[in-house]
Formats: sequence, structure tokens, C-alpha cells
Amino acid sequence: MPRRPARPAPRTSTRSTASTRVVVPEITPKTFFGHGLPGVDLEKLTGKLIVIEGADGSGRSTQISRLVEWLEGTGHATLQVGLKRSTLVSEQLEQAQQGNILSRTTLSLFYATDFADQLEHAMLPALRAGAVVLADRYIYTLMARDLVRGMDERWLRNLYGIALVPDAVFYLEVSPEQLVQRVFAKNQSLDFWESGMDLGLSRDMFDSFLKYQAAMRETFRRLQSTYRFRIIDGERSTASINEELKTRIGVVLASGR
Amino acid sequence: MNRTVAELGFPGRLIAVEGLDGSGKSTQVHLLQKWLEQQGCKVFFSSWNSSALVKSATSRGKKENLLTPTTFSLIHATDFADRYERQLLPLLRAGYIVLCDRYIFTAFARDVVRGVPPDWVRGVYSHAALPDLIFFFKASLEVSLARILDNRPVLKFHEAGMDLQLSTNPYESFRLFQGRIFEQYLAIFMEFNFVMIDANDRIEAQQDVVRRLVSGHIRLADYRTASAT
Repeated sequence: MPRRPARPAPRTSTRSTASTRVVVPEITPKTFFGHGLPGVDLEKLTGKLIVIEGADGSGRSTQISRLVEWLEGTGHATLQVGLKRSTLVSEQLEQAQQGNILSRTTLSLFYATDFADQLEHAMLPALRAGAVVLADRYIYTLMARDLVRGMDERWLRNLYGIALVPDAVFYLEVSPEQLVQRVFAKNQSLDFWESGMDLGLSRDMFDSFLKYQAAMRETFRRLQSTYRFRIIDGERSTASINEELKTRIGVVLASGR
Repeated sequence: MNRTVAELGFPGRLIAVEGLDGSGKSTQVHLLQKWLEQQGCKVFFSSWNSSALVKSATSRGKKENLLTPTTFSLIHATDFADRYERQLLPLLRAGYIVLCDRYIFTAFARDVVRGVPPDWVRGVYSHAALPDLIFFFKASLEVSLARILDNRPVLKFHEAGMDLQLSTNPYESFRLFQGRIFEQYLAIFMEFNFVMIDANDRIEAQQDVVRRLVSGHIRLADYRTASAT
């Protein structure tokens, strides 16, 4: 159904030329990180894949819901995906995490299965249809978690060679001290996994959380030099972060990279 | 590339059997297990696709036909990793003889037939030790097919390779699928030093060869439990 805005969209402050004209994004070539998936025609992927990375409490989901509003308002179809949301294994993955019964490689492969299922059944179809896919975390979080736990980087790179290289990746960086405050403001309790309690860094959960999140930040910074994603200072106001994201995504949609 | 259990310096030993469905490998590994137990050896047996947690996801995926070649491969790799990290590796470190009915080579053959890149699958399984002895039960394709089709006329979707769309007839699909897996096995045969057993031979004759090779490769005396000596 064609939707005609009655008045200029109020939030497109970066573009003063707010009008009824919908910008058609340029199609840019897609690639896989490695071997890729069998039977995928990359040329047919006309949509855009935008990834927002960051710890719990870094403001990812707030930013994503604002981006969806903005993107749909400016005429782009969107799809949101995230970790542990596949139809195939998300339930079993949840169970396994609750019980903390799986060893490292197993859990890692379980997450990879969940990722692959969403990639093939949600992301690729949406990209074929020309939508903007917003991923609430991607392989970088999965890799960082495993790297912090001492897994082999080459093994992980091969494993996630199935993944599509995103059109843009933003990492919302928030200091562990800030994160802990935000998590408490929201939940009043720390999560076992987000505190890295399985690592035995400290028996004190607060202490463990700070150490684990610091290690994750270090790993993300290291991954950044390989994968060249953009680090966004996540300690600013929601609105100012959103403006920055919109500007940067606007560039991606207009011209590719 | 992966190293064998012996090369890794673990006290245990790993023996794997591979072959097509219906090659008689499960019968042979069962007889081997019995014999080793009767010798008083510490033995553990494990079969492919059998870890409890992963099983529920696998059967769901299969039932609802949600699996693609990649997720099929990954879910089996997850199942394997679960068994490997929780059972196989600890037992090998504790000095057990571990018998595996199918090992990573099943994935190498099957997943590649489904179109997954060979290097990628090998990478996924590169955390696993190689067996010290790998028996490949080579029956003619017709014999294997006859054994399976005689026993169990209803073929499951993935078992028949129906996802490959080789044929709309499950039996024809199964034949073609097994034929391709057989080719893949033959392609990796030399690389991994498979010991070929003629699975068209009599059961006893095969078992005789298997037992002689096992006792030639492994000093069974080292694996006897204290109470048995």
C-alpha cells in the first residue's frame, strides 16, 4: 500500500530536504567472509545489512527501534534479527544456557547453528527482497565471547566464513563501569553469562562483571583492526548517538560504503 | 591438520568405524567391543548423532524440514562437540579405548555431498583428535542398499537424501545419495589412512581381521583394569 506522508517527517533533521521523495539505495556488491553458503547468488542480494554491536546495556535495542522508525518513515522496508532467535535451536540453546551444561566448543557451535539458521531463513530472504536488515549483534559478539574464553581464532574465522560481510557495523562502546550502572537501572541484577561467571575470573559477581566486560571491550577493539567496524561512543545521549547513526547509515544507503 | 590421540600423548586410544549404512560396521564394532570387554579392557562405545540435548533440535529440524546443508552440518558438529568434550576426550585422557560408530569422516563425506565446502567442514572439526585406527567397511553399493532396504522399507527424509532432490522416489534418491557418499569416502580414503575391510566377506572373517589389527596396533595389556589383571 502506498503511504504518503501528510507532512515532512519530523525526525529527519540531518536532511533538511525532507520530502515525499524516497531515496532508492544504490546496489553494492556483497561478499562472504570466507567459504560462504552453498547456492547463494550474491548478486541477488539488493538490500543492506546493518549491524549494531555492543554489550547488554549499551543501548543497542533503543537505537535499533529508533532506526526502524526512521528507516520505515523514509520508505525502507526493514527486518530485525538478533542472536538466539532462530526457530531451529533457540529453545535448546536457552535450555543449555540455563543449565550451563555445555562445554565451550559445543556452545559455540550451537550459537553458530542459530546464526546460520537466521542467516539463511531470515537475513538472506530479506536482503533478496531489498530490505534493510538491522542485526542486533552479529558474528563479532559471538567471536569475542569465544576469544575471551580462549578459543582458537583461526577456528572461529573458518566457522564464521559462512557469514555475509555487512554494509556497515557500529559498535556502541560503553565502559564497564557505566554498563554496570545501566544494567542495575534496568534489571537490578547481573546476568550470569554477561558477567562471565563461567570463566572463574572472580567469585564476586560484580567484580567478575567488570573484568569480563573489560576483556570483551579489549577483544572488540582488537577485532576492530581486522574487521574495520566503526566504534561509536555509547556514553553520549541517546539522541546524539542516534543522529550519528542516522547520518552514517544515510551515507551507506545513498552510495554504498 | 589434526593429530591422532597417540600423537597428542593421551593414554587412551580411539578406534573409528566408517562405511555406508548397511555395510555391517555396527555389527563389527559391537563384536569388537564385546571382545575387548571380555579381555578386561576399559572400553567406551559412542555412536554418531546421539547427544541428548542436541538430539531434540536435530529431530525437530529434520521433522519440520528446517535444515539447510549448512545448518545440517552445524547441528551435527554441535552434537559431535558435545559428545567429544564431555565424553570422548575425558575418557581418552583417562586411558580408555574409545570405539566410535562413525566419526568426523561421516561429516566430511555426507556434508560435502550436500554441497558444503570441504575445507570449511574440516575446519569445523579441526578441534577433534584423529583416531589411531580407522576401519572402513567397504561393501558393494548394491549389498549395502539391499541390507538397508530389506530391513526397513520406510526411509526417512534426510536418510534418503531427499533434501538433495536427486529423485522424487525415496528409494531411487537413497541409491543415488549413497552412491555419492561412497565416492566421497573413496576420495578421502588415502589421506586419512583408512584400513579397508571387505564387508562383502563373512562376518566372522571380517571380525578376525579387525581383532588382529587392533591387537597389532594397541597393547591391550595397558588397557586392562586393575581387577582384571
